[in-house]
Amino acid sequence: MSRTATRITRILAMLPWVIANPGATVEEVCKRFGYTKHRLLEDLDVVFVSGLPGYGPGDLMVAYVEDDTVVVDMADYFANSPRLNPSEGLALLAAAITVSESGQGDAVLESAISKLQGVLFPEGEEVLALRVKGESDTLGILRSAAKEGRVVEITYSNLSSEKTTVRSVEPWVVFASKGNWYLNGFCRLAQQERLFRVDRIREIRLLDQGFPPRQEQSIPEVSYVPSPDDIYADIELGPNAEWVLDYYPVEILEKDEERTLIRFFSPDPMVSARLLLRLGSDARLVNGEAVSSTLKKLTEEILDRYERTSA
Amino acid sequence: MKNVIERILNLLAFLLTSRLPVTAEEIRNTVAGYEGQSDAAFHRMFERDKELLRRIGIPLDVRAPDVWSLEKGYAISPAEYRMPDPGLTDEERAALWLAAQVVRIGEGGSGFEALLKLGGVSLAASVEPFGANLGANVDTLAEIFKGITERRLTSFRYRGEDRRVAPHGIGHARGHWYLVGIEDGGSKVFRVDRMEEISLGEKPAAFKRTPGISIRSALDTQPWEIGDDESQTALVRFDESVAWWALRNLGRAEEPGEGPIEVEISVSNPAAFVGWVLGFGPKAEILAPPDLRAALVRKVKESL
Repeated sequence: MSRTATRITRILAMLPWVIANPGATVEEVCKRFGYTKHRLLEDLDVVFVSGLPGYGPGDLMVAYVEDDTVVVDMADYFANSPRLNPSEGLALLAAAITVSESGQGDAVLESAISKLQGVLFPEGEEVLALRVKGESDTLGILRSAAKEGRVVEITYSNLSSEKTTVRSVEPWVVFASKGNWYLNGFCRLAQQERLFRVDRIREIRLLDQGFPPRQEQSIPEVSYVPSPDDIYADIELGPNAEWVLDYYPVEILEKDEERTLIRFFSPDPMVSARLLLRLGSDARLVNGEAVSSTLKKLTEEILDRYERTSA
Repeated sequence: MKNVIERILNLLAFLLTSRLPVTAEEIRNTVAGYEGQSDAAFHRMFERDKELLRRIGIPLDVRAPDVWSLEKGYAISPAEYRMPDPGLTDEERAALWLAAQVVRIGEGGSGFEALLKLGGVSLAASVEPFGANLGANVDTLAEIFKGITERRLTSFRYRGEDRRVAPHGIGHARGHWYLVGIEDGGSKVFRVDRMEEISLGEKPAAFKRTPGISIRSALDTQPWEIGDDESQTALVRFDESVAWWALRNLGRAEEPGEGPIEVEISVSNPAAFVGWVLGFGPKAEILAPPDLRAALVRKVKESL
């Protein structure tokens, strides 16, 4: 919203509250509506010179501060707060439902959600749903550990290599992005910052060790940045495989009507091999030694298994 | 800015207390703040002010004051202007505020204005090492949301085709936003980021909601359950090392014991199902039915 719109919104929200709560102090109003005293007085001054046509003493609103109390009068047409616009209603409700769905809400939040839904969808229709899959117990432990600065021990199964390790992590931040929950923190096993997918954490335990919690922690972006150690594969995608472009950060080498040639980076050839397996005849590996041999081994293992049990 | 605010407050006060719609000309001659402007300057000013009201969320109606008038007038109905009071407590407002701080939609705002309208909240700053971004363009979602709440038919282009849908709900799952709507009598699911040229119908309350549409269950549907094939039950064996992961993927809460597990899964889109099972490599095996087994083997041979 523009600054003007925000300022008008704040005036239109503050007036009804003061009207409904006569005797409200400057401090109360400032705290509730995020005002400094100076800004509040400024806005009250504008209200004081606005009102109905005629614009005489009987037409203008009354708004001033007396004995540290905010006084508003002659403003009955502003006795109600304006409604939420669609993006405010959606964003607020979506945020609340997400927190609740991830098991991080409480009875107070649940009640707030149902009251908000009651005014947004008075007929009780189900209009908005959010699914951020995650193991809510794990999320809860990670969230409080990050807040309090406690080390956790996790049993983690790597998505691409499928190796399972037990490691101690100083959790910095827990966040959801692109439909998955992630833990970012300092991994004591790797001795560096690491990103973990929460749904790949099989077990979690709070350790009796602390670390200084992060004061400022921004939410990292989850986008894959190829490292110099990555291997790559050049893959030709047919029209049915174009969804790969939406799901993976790939480099597009060539593109025409029929096909797209991409360069696919990954730390482990298994990631690319599994993708190729899934795409079948919709894709073709053009270049990539390590991926080619991994794919060959993978297909042999699967076919072996099915042949054995078919016999 | 002070003048703009004064003028907007005057305009709102005037429109909220006028019983009949008022024309732009009447506004120009009556409301303090528009005086002494040339025609062009007034027009620009008034357009900007209307846009500002729209952004705040104030419903400005445009209609003829009576059946004899040719010129349209502007009106704000006090009943539409105000929000029914949800009756939130201070604790509930604080909980909503915290939720809005940790969950954002794309580049969307902080929820500050929304909380103000709901009665304000003590803005305690706290470091919350927890957050989610439901990445999307919040304006697009808001437009769709508006179509749902006002029951307007929604037209858009989807994979090169023109669609016209009675929107029933939206939801977020697996990192994407989806629109659930009724088209030609059937319930359909569309990915919002693939919808283009979205436009809402002129008429509000243009359709009756079809009862029994659940946004939740539309989102919980696994990709292999969305298909045109007759539904069949597949039996899959997962080796011990991947059993827990398979169960989590299927949204089943149980913890696997020792050894492999065998799971029954309902399938109506064989291609999606085979793709998912292949993700487990040689550690999963379709035991039955034979045609799904054969489909998987065929797929593996394709990539050789």
